[in-house]
Amino acid sequence: MELKQSQDIPIPVAQVWSALNDEQILAQAIPGCQELTKISDTELTATVKLKVGPVSATFVGEVTLSELNPPHSYVISGSGKGGVAGGATGSARVDLEAIDNGNATRLTYDVDASVTGKIAQLGSRLIESTAKKLATKFFTDFIAILSPESEQS
Amino acid sequence: MPEGTMNQGIGASVRRKEDKKFITGKGRYTDDINRNGQLYAYFIRSDVAHANIKNINVNAAAKCEGVVAVYTGEDIAADGIGGPICGWTPTNRDGSAPKEPPHPLLAVGKVRYVGDHIAVVIAESLEAAQAASEKIVIDLDNLPAVVDPATAIGNTQIHDEMDDNVYFDWELGDETATADALGGADKVIELTVTNNRVIPNAIEPRAAVAEYDEIEDRYTLYTSSQNPHLTRLVMAAFMMQIPESKLHVVAPDVGGGFGSKIYIYPEEAVCTWAAKKLRKPVKWTADRTQAFLGDAHGRDHVNKVKLGLDKNNKIVGLRVDTIANLGAYLSAFSMVTPTYLHGTLLSGCYDIPAIYTNVKGVCTTTVNVDAYRGAGRPEATYLLERTMDYAARQIGMDPAEFRRINFIPKDAFPYQTAVALQYDIGDYEPALDKAMEMIDYANFGSRQAEAAKRGKYRGIGLSSYIEACGIAPSAVVGTLGARVGLYESAVVRVDPTGTISVFTGAHSHGQGHDTTFAQIVADKLGVPIDSIDIVHGDTDRIPFGMGTYGSRSLAVGGTAISKAVDKVIEKGKIIAAHMMEAAETDLEFKDGKFTVAGTDKEKSFGEIALSAYVPHNFPHDRLEPGLEETAFYDPLNFTYPAGTHICEVEIDPATGVVDIVDWAACDDFGNLINPMIVEGQVHGGIAQGVGQALLENAHYNEDGQLLTASYMDYCMPRADNLPSLKIDYTVTACTHNDLGVKGCGEAGAIASPPAVINAIVDALSVVGVTDMSMPATTEKIWRAINDATAKAAE
Amino acid sequence: MYATTYAKAKDVADAVSQLKGADEGKLLAGGQTLIPTLKQRLASSDCLIDLSDAGLSGISDEGGSIRIGAMTRHVEVETSEMVKKAIPALAALASGIGDRQVRNCGTIGGSVANNDPSACYPSALLALGATVHTDRRDIAAGDYFTGMFETALDEDEVITAVSFPKPEAASYVKFPNPASRYAMVGVFVAKTSSGVAVAVTGAGQDGVFRHGGLEAALNSSFSAESIDSVAVDDSVLMSDMHASADYRAHLITQMTKRAVAAC
Ligand SMILES: Cc1cc2nc3c(=O)[nH]c(=O)nc-3n(C[C@H](O)[C@H](O)[C@H](O)COP(=O)(O)OP(=O)(O)OC[C@H]3O[C@@H](n4cnc5c(N)ncnc54)[C@H](O)[C@@H]3O)c2cc1C
Repeated sequence: MELKQSQDIPIPVAQVWSALNDEQILAQAIPGCQELTKISDTELTATVKLKVGPVSATFVGEVTLSELNPPHSYVISGSGKGGVAGGATGSARVDLEAIDNGNATRLTYDVDASVTGKIAQLGSRLIESTAKKLATKFFTDFIAILSPESEQS
Repeated sequence: MPEGTMNQGIGASVRRKEDKKFITGKGRYTDDINRNGQLYAYFIRSDVAHANIKNINVNAAAKCEGVVAVYTGEDIAADGIGGPICGWTPTNRDGSAPKEPPHPLLAVGKVRYVGDHIAVVIAESLEAAQAASEKIVIDLDNLPAVVDPATAIGNTQIHDEMDDNVYFDWELGDETATADALGGADKVIELTVTNNRVIPNAIEPRAAVAEYDEIEDRYTLYTSSQNPHLTRLVMAAFMMQIPESKLHVVAPDVGGGFGSKIYIYPEEAVCTWAAKKLRKPVKWTADRTQAFLGDAHGRDHVNKVKLGLDKNNKIVGLRVDTIANLGAYLSAFSMVTPTYLHGTLLSGCYDIPAIYTNVKGVCTTTVNVDAYRGAGRPEATYLLERTMDYAARQIGMDPAEFRRINFIPKDAFPYQTAVALQYDIGDYEPALDKAMEMIDYANFGSRQAEAAKRGKYRGIGLSSYIEACGIAPSAVVGTLGARVGLYESAVVRVDPTGTISVFTGAHSHGQGHDTTFAQIVADKLGVPIDSIDIVHGDTDRIPFGMGTYGSRSLAVGGTAISKAVDKVIEKGKIIAAHMMEAAETDLEFKDGKFTVAGTDKEKSFGEIALSAYVPHNFPHDRLEPGLEETAFYDPLNFTYPAGTHICEVEIDPATGVVDIVDWAACDDFGNLINPMIVEGQVHGGIAQGVGQALLENAHYNEDGQLLTASYMDYCMPRADNLPSLKIDYTVTACTHNDLGVKGCGEAGAIASPPAVINAIVDALSVVGVTDMSMPATTEKIWRAINDATAKAAE
Repeated sequence: MYATTYAKAKDVADAVSQLKGADEGKLLAGGQTLIPTLKQRLASSDCLIDLSDAGLSGISDEGGSIRIGAMTRHVEVETSEMVKKAIPALAALASGIGDRQVRNCGTIGGSVANNDPSACYPSALLALGATVHTDRRDIAAGDYFTGMFETALDEDEVITAVSFPKPEAASYVKFPNPASRYAMVGVFVAKTSSGVAVAVTGAGQDGVFRHGGLEAALNSSFSAESIDSVAVDDSVLMSDMHASADYRAHLITQMTKRAVAAC
């Protein structure tokens, strides 16, 4: 599954970049995130609980930040094991571009995801839609957290 | 024929004796068998296609409630237990032996396909075993998956023993003569033909219950198998290294196999091994997804075909280069299927002077691929019949006519092909004519025009096939690399009261042996079939047997029974001669009676049976009591069923939906014992072939994940995918077995896929489509129509 | 399957209170989706609350609409004279769900609660402007389906019935997934006093949806030809090994035409 999209955020690049490296913000944005613990600047461990229809699974795994090019781009990847359900990995290349004279940021993300085990064997029809939905939710929530209204509230 | 046996002998459509128990739910399958104190095995399988195993931690699992043991590959290795072996190996074209990398029962060091066995938990209940399995921590280091056979060669190395992922590189035929023939041909037709990968889907998943008797030092294994003796042989001699007599294998009622239950898999071996280690019976039953992941798949070939024609459109030469995907490990018949059961069939029904084929068997990170209904012969037939059709279109000749002028003529038999086989007998034109008549080929044009008025594309497709069945003459297969003989055994035991038990090494898992075999005996002995019991599937009761596959049960197993019955009759004559004080040479046996020629003296079969066991005045120096005979029959040649199937389709261009509107099959199976059962076999075979052609596909994604591992995504044919089938026969009796029979189990699956695809291509030829791959899904058809229309518009 | 407990609810209030009392209670309707998932160990529950005796089945004619209790089996909708007369398309839809065994067990409440993106019923609810009744409120179909497998239901909310306003004409045409025979594309077209509604199931990445473009074309002229010029955007459609998004888009047009022709 691959998905590329971009969205504009009314805050400068530097602020977006720091949020992208802030585990508390990431924890709020990662769908179903139960726990996110920082191991180092680029490594975190995560527990994520997901529910797709009647199926629910808790994934335990790592989140890694790589190819860091502050404050322009990085790759955020996650990989987790969901017990009997199988495993899931996903990564997104995130690019930030200053727009609106530096007052705003265009965030572009390019997502790639794959799954293993029962999720792949039994749920293949849903993989693509689910991956897209989760990726979109992550970035939508991330942007919502950053946008000025929510900062005030 | 005496009363009570009327219409029960050879040629009668006797209702299947075995069906009552099956349709009333009384069948007794392996999973129905439970032993006192049994434990349950649950296998932990790899989630990924290819990885090094860094660590397996079973500590937490071993401590779970109800868990008796957790084993990994190291435990198996420590006990010196071997893995499955290959039963038949070809020789490479450079004269070397093929590569046979080991297949450990539980993975050691590496996993090589999604579903590969990593560990087993054995517990007091299945739930406990499953729960504990979730506590096993497996640390894997992923490696790239290799999925596509076309690019497997030289790709990421899968086995240490094989640096190029090629198990074997085999050839057959005369390369130079073929090159010359193609070089001198008037035209050379070239086509790439892919045979899609399918999953067998027996209705009963595989299962095993193993127990060990400490006092007798003997194992018993109940397992869902097509050939219990082969299981015993391989497991005793190669896996467990125990005396064969110490292993008793029972295959009770078995719900279908289609090839997938020929092989010996890790699960039954692990259960057997663990039963002794734990001194308790161990049971395992696959669930449906495990069956999708773990049972050997079928087909998966890519062929490059070149067919040379002279200026009269007679075939002068054929070259086929095949890549066969054999999967991650070699299964029992995996190497013979794409070689000796494939390359040897490339002449089809045609007189082809020069043929050459090269087959490379490649390793991929997918589950093993092995024989599946038809085994090699459907793949050969598909590529040949697609090419014949494609060629006919290229040269603008009616496909039926093009086939006809290339058929081996009736008077050319026995016919030596350019690819090793000698066809004993056949006559292909009458079957073609009859099938064309059955479907009203002559008036197809008007049906097509009428369909066009309704906005539908109508097409008609032929497939004239031959198969080599009755597997197989041991002397022949021995020279071709088989590690076993392929004869069959039978014991016919007549009881004092005249009832008869027939013990056969063939195994029935849907074929109707209980009825067909009984009919042979009833016919020969003139007794009612209800007095005959067919016993199979138990290594303690049957002398030996090679099992059921390759349409061999009747031609080989049935002939063995016939021969044993002949011996019973001979012995009966001696007893009768003694009782009627006549010369043995004057004795005749007919309609269930022993008579003395030229007199009115007679004894019924029952009287002879009784006296055989009440031998009060037998001359014991010349006549033993009892009436029981054994025969082993090794065939002299393969049998060669052949025929023509014609499929008619209608395609809805708006959606791409293909509707099979008519089907005519005219097969030559030699003599028919039970036409109703034969018809059922043809129906089932056609359904399976239609499944492959339109619906079924084992879909691995590029990561090596099997995405079709349930019926949500793996599409089986259903009744509404088929029209009412028209079935008829021609008969040329097999020349080299007593019954004149050839076998009918695989023909439908062999003949049907090219008939469907040829019909689809014919239908779509109106918009310029020339080829279509299997499965011809609605989307593919819709896209082909779009692409062809767009191209035409350019 | 993980170990669980099982109890029958006496009525809706009992079901709700049992659900509130359990850690991970689950309502059991026909079990056609829930049981296989539990058996695969892809879901677990400490308490299965069976609704079969909670008085939720039955079909009634409420004048302007047909009310179908949540526990009404597909076979009952398929064979109901009342449904066949008032909304024949709904009976036909039910007759095309799964196989006989599935239709004998599966329920409308289970189907609507589950909101499988390939299920048939959701398209009928959306196109007919149905109302989902629960133990605590009425939800208009337009507000009820919130995404793939997602609905407006609260965790402990129980569907009690679904009411379908009687349309002037309606038709459901399904292009089945060849393997599962769920909808690969299913189109429900309904003509009501407030206009034409076209609901599509099996195809949307976010589950069932209404197609404004098709509706507009059909409102201006209710004929199969009128939608020839309507573009169906495939970027929001599902793509899987059985059908890519553009093929699904094409099928939406084709199935809509067939549904219109059958209205
Ligand atoms: C082989 C097969 C083929 C099928 N084919 C089709 C098809 O072609 N088209 C189609 O539309 N469907 C199809 N289905 C789905 C089936 O028809 C059922 O609609 C579906 O399984 C859910 O209904 P159920 O009654 O079985 O619910 P259950 O499986 O019992 O429950 C499903 C979910 O709904 C919840 N739930 C149930 N009742 C309520 C309620 N009253 N209030 C709140 N929550 C509730 C449950 O807790 C559970 O989470 C098929 C199913 C199978 C097994």
